[in-house]
Amino acid sequence: MMFDSSIVTTIFAEFSPLAPMIVMIIGALVMPAVFFATKRKSAVAAVMIAVIAISMLFNVLMMVDGYQADYAGLFAYDAFAGVMILLFQIVAFFTALVSVSSSETTRMHYGAFNALLLAATTGMMFVATASDLITIFLGIELASITSYVLVAMKRSDPRAAEAAVKYVIFGGLSTALTLYGLSMLYGVAGTTNIEDIAIALSTQDFSWAFGIAMITMIAGFGFKIAAVPFHAWAPDVYEGAATPVTMFLGTGSKKVGFVALFKIFLVIFVAASSTAAFATEELQYIFAIIAAITMTVGNVVAISQNNIKRMLAYSSIAQAGYILIVMAVMSEYALASGMFHMFTHVFMKGGAFLIVGALITVGIGEKISDYQGLAKRAPFIAFAMTLFLFSLAGIPPLAGFTSKLFLFSSAIYDGGVMTQWVWLAFVAVLNSAISLYYYTRVVKAMYIEKGANAERIKIPKTFTAAIVTCVVFVIILGLFPQLIMDFCADAAAVLFG
Amino acid sequence: MFSDIFAFTYEIPYLLTLLLIIPLVGAIATLAMGGKRQKNAKYVAGVFSFVTMVLSVILMFTPDLSVYSESYTWIETAGVKMSYILSVDGLSILMVFLTGVLVFLSTVFSARESDKPHYFFALILAMEVGLMGVYMAGDYFLFYIMWEVTLIPMYFLISWFGGPRRHYAAIKFFIYTHVASVVMLIGIFAIVFGAATGGIADFSFEAVLAGSAAFGSTFQVLVFGLLFFGFAVKMPIVPFHTWLPDAHTEAPTAGSVLLAGVMLKMGSYGIIRVCLEVLPEGAQYWQPIMVFIGILAMIYGAYACIAQKDLKKMVAFSSISHMGMVMIAMACLSDIGIQFAIFQMFAHGLISAVLFMVAGATGHSVGTREIPLLGGLAGKLPLLAAFMMFGFLASLGLPGLVGFWAEFGIIFGFYDYAVSVDMLWLVIFCLLSLLLTAGYYLWAMQRTMFGRLTTKIDLSHIHDLSRPEVIALGAVCALIALFGLWPDLALSYLEGYSSSLALTLGVI
Repeated sequence: MMFDSSIVTTIFAEFSPLAPMIVMIIGALVMPAVFFATKRKSAVAAVMIAVIAISMLFNVLMMVDGYQADYAGLFAYDAFAGVMILLFQIVAFFTALVSVSSSETTRMHYGAFNALLLAATTGMMFVATASDLITIFLGIELASITSYVLVAMKRSDPRAAEAAVKYVIFGGLSTALTLYGLSMLYGVAGTTNIEDIAIALSTQDFSWAFGIAMITMIAGFGFKIAAVPFHAWAPDVYEGAATPVTMFLGTGSKKVGFVALFKIFLVIFVAASSTAAFATEELQYIFAIIAAITMTVGNVVAISQNNIKRMLAYSSIAQAGYILIVMAVMSEYALASGMFHMFTHVFMKGGAFLIVGALITVGIGEKISDYQGLAKRAPFIAFAMTLFLFSLAGIPPLAGFTSKLFLFSSAIYDGGVMTQWVWLAFVAVLNSAISLYYYTRVVKAMYIEKGANAERIKIPKTFTAAIVTCVVFVIILGLFPQLIMDFCADAAAVLFG
Repeated sequence: MFSDIFAFTYEIPYLLTLLLIIPLVGAIATLAMGGKRQKNAKYVAGVFSFVTMVLSVILMFTPDLSVYSESYTWIETAGVKMSYILSVDGLSILMVFLTGVLVFLSTVFSARESDKPHYFFALILAMEVGLMGVYMAGDYFLFYIMWEVTLIPMYFLISWFGGPRRHYAAIKFFIYTHVASVVMLIGIFAIVFGAATGGIADFSFEAVLAGSAAFGSTFQVLVFGLLFFGFAVKMPIVPFHTWLPDAHTEAPTAGSVLLAGVMLKMGSYGIIRVCLEVLPEGAQYWQPIMVFIGILAMIYGAYACIAQKDLKKMVAFSSISHMGMVMIAMACLSDIGIQFAIFQMFAHGLISAVLFMVAGATGHSVGTREIPLLGGLAGKLPLLAAFMMFGFLASLGLPGLVGFWAEFGIIFGFYDYAVSVDMLWLVIFCLLSLLLTAGYYLWAMQRTMFGRLTTKIDLSHIHDLSRPEVIALGAVCALIALFGLWPDLALSYLEGYSSSLALTLGVI
């Protein structure tokens, strides 16, 4: 047997498009049993890592082979799904790896924690493969409901309870809006299959029902991606949750909203753009304005934050604004760039959250002033944090620079013609410059200000491993973006047919 | 040309890459010299920067620079193509030489640096990587990366080794120049994607230049504005200059030398390399504005110098004034204007190195740089006084030194321009600036070194220049005299470049 996607097809037969998810579901089901049988965290973690690794292996084999298949008209595995699944798997992998040794997860039921983590990841992966409104919605719900519990699980901290309640209420509202929009869309198009909707709509004129569907869906998904003005929950939830969970939400969950946006909106509009009278441009403007406001509010509010988790939360909001450029520009290059930015975001923002989590574990607080003199106490951690923050700010030659370069340039030119979104690129680069200010505050605290304590810090090994991985990717993806960008380009080509 | 005296024809493989790699390896090696090996840091840094300098000098002796061009595809994905292209031509050769020389000499000058020297020298070498990269890059992607790479070492150099207000100055420097860079980045996107053919946006200078023929007038005018703003803040231009005096006042001497000597030139280099080469029509439109901005910087900088109390801040403002001269020279858009703009960049690089070294040395030797507190020090500090006199005279354009030829050429070129637009009175501003320059330098000299010996400060600890400082200053002064007596040595590199660029600019 060759070492390629035929392994997957041999094992899973017609269920092959779902192979990575099936592995994860089995893992989620056995995880509590493993915990009860062994009562040891390390054993659970080992099984957990193995499950994710197998799932990832299957996915990479399918992705590299260019595997493409459909399951019952509800799910379709293609290049787009492959790339996004890989992203979710990486996030889950980091979360699982560091939650073993994080002090914030010690009082949680570890078997349940991991089971929920796998279930949430499965939900995200379902959204990535979904080709039907129903499966998209189910995937989002699976991911959301398990995430609420993950946030609430940090019982030692009253902020977690507050965060979880907020998350549930906002999440519920978002779900309601999304569902309302999806049902309106079904009413207009008469089908729930996305491709069929696109075909049905391309022969119709613009209707108010369709407009309402679009607006409610934007609001619903807007909550998920924490776009302004639907962002208020994010800083509280990110602050209250255990830091590994925060990382999972900030770098993984958030992207589910984007995947759903891409799937529904881009497919419909690409199909519909051939017919006139379709309000595409109006919706593009709505997205452009949301993008501009989101990035500006995120960056400006981040300046005044003293808690690093809140600061990173606002910076995540700003990053969502950058990625929304894709929805304004709606070109194949923009989509590829946006997906690539999501990838680099996993490593740079994920890396920053990992460091915050590692430092909380060794007893350093969440305030920026707690980071004073860190360069002396933990030189590598301070260096890594500097790389992640500079990468987020878009300083070359780091990954964040390259992905922003692709993303912002997509707003300027599309196929040799200057787009009308040049102003958006302007807002984006100026925001990028503003963001440098608050990122530098942390660097300054670590390297220049003197701390009260000069004791050396030793962080847990699993954290170190995860952080080193992020550092490596932040540098490699900056210098050789084609490693991932090629896949993103293929993926974008799928949605743009 | 150096190669007329002695032609170095042996072709060193990957010479331009070596000019990047050697300082980079040197920075890492120096960084490793922590703890007990700290006192060796300067030797390690010295060796690496010396080798780099030798290579840059060899480049000067090479008759045909084009043999050293390197080009490899780096990133090719999703319709964009970035390459690793290094090349040196008439415009960049002097800048590469200047970088090599000044980095080595500022390392020598700072040999007595004793506080965390491994960080200090590593940062200087890291900055050299960026500077060399900017001047040699043949691809906008590489160019922008190198442009930003220079920022981070400079930020840390100021905020670790600077004066009392260093944190403020460092962050101000970082934010100002970064905002300018991102605006420039938008301009780069515009020209790269605007020049794209066949669905591939190629970031190389060559491809953009080839595609630039298709740019319309409005496009050129708008994009010129973006790029010009990005580059000019670095030069700097009034009113976006305020980061410069602060950064200089707080930066350590070596940082100031590199900042004024080589980093400011990145701005004017960018304007010539990108704005003028790629957007000639935009340049025509912006010409009066460039002249206005140049005159403003020239006069305002010189005028501000008179009021300064801090010697180093005075020198910083004089840099603004002299970079204003570069601006008006470029704005002539003529053969002679461009030639002498580049020559002034080179001349000012050498002269400002001397000026910042003596200003820094005054601070070290006397303990203060406040002009009102100084006076009559020439008797106590003869070497410092001599070098200060030499630097000031070179800067105000004493015939026989390199600054004279630069200013002479610029006024000559600018006169032509003023006649052609029928506004001869513009030349008065040049003369006024020369007058002010002579005034503030001589007055400063008078107040610090001559006259009655000061009683306002404790003079028991003052000491004259140390040996490394004398070596560094002596070497730069020798170069100033060499190129002053024999300007053709440098000018001959520029002739071919400036005349062909003037042709492009004139054709429209």
